[in-house]
Amino acid sequence: MENTFEVKQDGTVLNIVLNGQLATANAPALMEELNKYKNQGVTKVSFDATNLTYIASSGIRVVIFAKQKLGGNPEIEFINCNQEITGVFEMTGIKEYINFIKK
Amino acid sequence: MKKLHFESVKDKADEIVSAVIGTDEVSSCKNDFFTLHLVCEELIVNIASYAYENDGYLDVEIEKMPSEITIRFRDGGKKFNPLEREMPDTTLPLEERGIGGLGIFLTVKKMDSVVYDYVNGENVLTVKKTIVNEK
Repeated sequence: MENTFEVKQDGTVLNIVLNGQLATANAPALMEELNKYKNQGVTKVSFDATNLTYIASSGIRVVIFAKQKLGGNPEIEFINCNQEITGVFEMTGIKEYINFIKK
Repeated sequence: MKKLHFESVKDKADEIVSAVIGTDEVSSCKNDFFTLHLVCEELIVNIASYAYENDGYLDVEIEKMPSEITIRFRDGGKKFNPLEREMPDTTLPLEERGIGGLGIFLTVKKMDSVVYDYVNGENVLTVKKTIVNEK
């Protein structure tokens, strides 16, 4: 599967669909895209991880960036996150900052 | 033992990661594949990004035993022990976190053993993991 992402704004919510991997090859591009929404009153960043199979530390940094740098301390949500990816969030101590949702 | 030699690492992290995880030794570790992929990516990205002033080589040796896999990374770049760098404090509130050092932190957490040595002008990092029954 191609390692792509799609960002859509819905009011104050950013919906991000992740496909394949979120890692060194594409994480910096997503961070750059997110940077465009800095200080724009985003209240929630919702990642759809239904088709996400792998995440590396560069991907974790995107999630930390969303929480830290967008401004306004937005809620972070992951939809249909697999167990191994959830394990990486847990290991890096950021699991408690994420709302995990099954759809 | 499988030996892979990469003459150049600059901007080639993706390609090298794919080659390493594509070996029979790694790809056959079905239950640990996610972890091995993660660890290989973190270590190779670090070497490709920071080891050399300009560019240089990377040798990767992979040895798979029935219950353990060993992967060794050798580069001729500047002397650097990643285990000596300060590990990120993952207990800090997210708002106060730095974003560096997560890769080596995950490597140490995920593998059973991570050993650094500097031998004959080479950084040698050896990681080992017990592999779960793949049947």
